[in-house]
Amino acid sequence: MIQLKNISKRFGKRSALDDLTLRVPAGEIYGLLGHNGAGKSTAIGIMLGQVWPTAGEVRICGFDVTAHRRQALQKVGAIFETPAFYDYLSGLRNLEILSSYTAPTRRRRIEEVLEWVGLAGRERSVVRSYSHGMRARLALAQALLPGPELLILDEPGDGLDPEGIHEMRQTILRLHGELKLTILLSSHYLNEVEQLCTRIAVLNQGRMVFEGTLAETRQRRKWVRLRTGDFDLAMGELRQAQLVTEQRDGQLIALGQGVGADQVVRLLVERGMPVYEIAPAEETLESFYLGLMNDQRGGVAPFTQPTTA
Amino acid sequence: MFHLHLRNELWKLFGKKRTYIGFGAFVLAQLAMVLLFRFTRWQREMENLLAGNGYLAQEYISALTVAVVMLLPQVILLMPLYAALVGGDLVAKEAEEGTLRMILSRPISRFRLLFVKWLAGVIFSAVLVLVLGGTALAFARIWFPWRGMFVFAPGLFNVLSADDGFRLYLFSHVFIAVNASTALGLAFMFSCFNMKPAAATILSLSLLFISLVMENIPFFERYHEWLLTYHFRTWHFVYAQPIPWERMAESLCVLLAFNLTTFLVGAAAFQARDIKS
Repeated sequence: MIQLKNISKRFGKRSALDDLTLRVPAGEIYGLLGHNGAGKSTAIGIMLGQVWPTAGEVRICGFDVTAHRRQALQKVGAIFETPAFYDYLSGLRNLEILSSYTAPTRRRRIEEVLEWVGLAGRERSVVRSYSHGMRARLALAQALLPGPELLILDEPGDGLDPEGIHEMRQTILRLHGELKLTILLSSHYLNEVEQLCTRIAVLNQGRMVFEGTLAETRQRRKWVRLRTGDFDLAMGELRQAQLVTEQRDGQLIALGQGVGADQVVRLLVERGMPVYEIAPAEETLESFYLGLMNDQRGGVAPFTQPTTA
Repeated sequence: MFHLHLRNELWKLFGKKRTYIGFGAFVLAQLAMVLLFRFTRWQREMENLLAGNGYLAQEYISALTVAVVMLLPQVILLMPLYAALVGGDLVAKEAEEGTLRMILSRPISRFRLLFVKWLAGVIFSAVLVLVLGGTALAFARIWFPWRGMFVFAPGLFNVLSADDGFRLYLFSHVFIAVNASTALGLAFMFSCFNMKPAAATILSLSLLFISLVMENIPFFERYHEWLLTYHFRTWHFVYAQPIPWERMAESLCVLLAFNLTTFLVGAAAFQARDIKS
């Protein structure tokens, strides 16, 4: 559905994207993660033909966006972090305006979508009078008109309260389940991405540093929680015996290839060190993400911990 | 689809209050001018001018005469201001508010979008000029009778019957509308670059102001043809006897070419730029 091939983008001397290659298959909810300035919005801008790539090729629904923008975006809907509307016009008029840039849209279809997003009855009020949540629904309505197959969501939960975020999450699941849409979701909310996405890509300083399924993020590193009398001393012994490869947060260890927890316990007991707890720790997306960013920076410990399984 | 896109632009343009600032300002300025003409020495000076040239003042101090008197300063000073104000907003305001990004996530070409915006701007210019001319005549008619027309402007002195005067009054508005769309087109061009709406308006007004100042400096007399405001005076010649068609055609061509150039420069800049939040 989306194919970015060796995309680079420079703004003056600054490189926003560096040789990015990405493929979003049809039917996925695909997460795009990264810090502010990592290049997510630039990548989305390039997908939508709003930002010109310095090099590379981008294809949406099989069409080159640069050369055949009209065909490429015919079945695409998009929502941005701060949905902007003509505040002095009604919600209905906004939808009429925005949808007409894709294709003439029947009033009946607009009413259906208004009903679907829960804005029926308020469509004739000026957008200035809408709450943040209503604006988010209007943004969704415009993205669903006339009838997309691909939905690009750039930080759709920004500024929403917890209830709004929950509603947005349910809506995305409905869109995927009921309308069978392919969804590209760029978000800072790792929890949301973890609950929604089937596959993710992580960008850092314009480069892709990870691409894979959520299951792969959990399996990438096996962390074990170790509680002992003196963690640093224990680590010294374990490293010397080549049983661990990494440590984190004063209680997490990554075991060496083929090493079992029983070997760790045996060694520590033999050295006279108490072992209060040793258990596998499941990696959350957040801990995976922070660990990944930590690796990119060169090894400063991240802030959060995996949960004990 | 084209008519839908043009309809969108007209909805957007005429849906916001800011668009009507110009109309309101014209009404106030015209009201002030007609009252000044009626109740100060201004009217007597014009009567003396007519009498000095052998005409009966009562025959020519009319609604049509006063309407043109009001238009002379407004067309050169106020109208470009309001046209530029709207022109500077057309693209830059949408870029600033983020709605441009919403539109450009859809399969419309940038050129098409820009063209319908420009066309909506031209329609706005025509409406602005019609309102300007209509209210000028309406206010003048409240205090002055419907009689012959007297036109006095730099290089122009003419008297006309009421019928001829009204016909030419209507005709002159075609040229005033071209002036308005030229001022709007200049601001529109700057608006297509990555800048704030106010910057686009100020830049275009600065250029028009420089042109106006240079036009009034004797040294630049030989370069008048290069100055935009010189061509803005074409509408005066509608009232000349005989009408200098060649001079008017030349100015009209210059203004139309200027409109085309500003549109193409704006379109090229808009096509090349990245649209980011």
